[in-house]
Amino acid sequence: MYRLFVSRNDNSGCFGGHALIILWAVLCCFGIGALAQSTSPALNANAPFSTRATHRLGFRNIKNNCKGILSIHNNELQFQQTGKPVAEVDIASVRRVFLGEESMQVGGMPMKIGKAAAPYGGGRVVSLFAHKKYDTLTLEYVDSNGGVHGAIFQVTKGQAELVRNEIVARDVYSGSGEGQATKQRTLEVTHEDK
Amino acid sequence: MKTSKSNPWIFCAAAVTIAVALSGGLAGQTAAVKSSAGSNGSGTQWSVQVERIDPGNLDLAHSFQVAIYENLLEELNKTKQFKYVLREGDSKASEIPDLLILKTMVVKYTPGSETQRAVTTVSGATKLTVRTQLIARDGKIVLESTVNGNVRFFGSNLRATHNLARNIAKMIKESPWLGSERLARYSPVNSDCGRHTSSGF
Repeated sequence: MYRLFVSRNDNSGCFGGHALIILWAVLCCFGIGALAQSTSPALNANAPFSTRATHRLGFRNIKNNCKGILSIHNNELQFQQTGKPVAEVDIASVRRVFLGEESMQVGGMPMKIGKAAAPYGGGRVVSLFAHKKYDTLTLEYVDSNGGVHGAIFQVTKGQAELVRNEIVARDVYSGSGEGQATKQRTLEVTHEDK
Repeated sequence: MKTSKSNPWIFCAAAVTIAVALSGGLAGQTAAVKSSAGSNGSGTQWSVQVERIDPGNLDLAHSFQVAIYENLLEELNKTKQFKYVLREGDSKASEIPDLLILKTMVVKYTPGSETQRAVTTVSGATKLTVRTQLIARDGKIVLESTVNGNVRFFGSNLRATHNLARNIAKMIKESPWLGSERLARYSPVNSDCGRHTSSGF
């Protein structure tokens, strides 16, 4: 401690210079961070995007409540279960996107059976902690006949907004018919606690 | 001697064969009766176009609205009472002569919690009450009813929408217009008195 103190005292002439260098470095770091933030909204329209999701209902030829990968590729919103064919929807046909939030019990049926079998109401105590919050992504899109379809996906918390941003960005870049104006007008973001 | 011993077995086998054949015939008959009951009495097979859910003044989550809509389409298809089950906005609807429109308005909604249900069992139920109307092309109401769909014990909140859609489809299937000439005359059938409720496990 003493030696350090002495050495600092010895170099007191340069201390202001060091402080300036440190300050400059800190400012540089913040600057880079700010730069990164400002560039992040400008999404690359052609870069593929994917996230893990659970298909709750609505997509054709996909079973309800099955897990898979929700991705956006070449202006198509795709959902694929492992080893099964891809179900896809043209992003230009997506009319409305809604975000929601849902709290669900984890563990599925085995957990439910375990909780029911636990003595002295132990299962109820487990239920208190065995829940997790998810984001829900609700889409409304139209088919080739103009029929309205709806689809609901459940994604990890925070991911739904990313998917929505990607959909909006792709639709803007694809320059589809009603594209920008309609989408901006009808796109609604809701946060619903269920 | 040998032939006399084998005779009972032959008789038994013949009797079993005849019984099986008769039961098959009966099953075929019941199936035929069921299928004829499925089509309405007026001879025309109707199609239905499902409209999007009207949340009314309630703050019903969009995921619920979409889930009710999609489940309704699925459940109505399952009933096999309609020739076509069309979605809102489907351009084919204009070409179909015997078309009914199914309107659904949410009357009451009690948001529940899956965790609350799991912990307390008695509270946290998600409850939905909707008013459904089957409307003919000329705007006359053919069938009107209030239907409930709940989830009380097991399942996620969205399961209430599935139960609701199933109850609506059941109500339509069991409604008297299917077997009578009422639909042809457009006399409204109000089935409010028998509320369709599901315990919704």
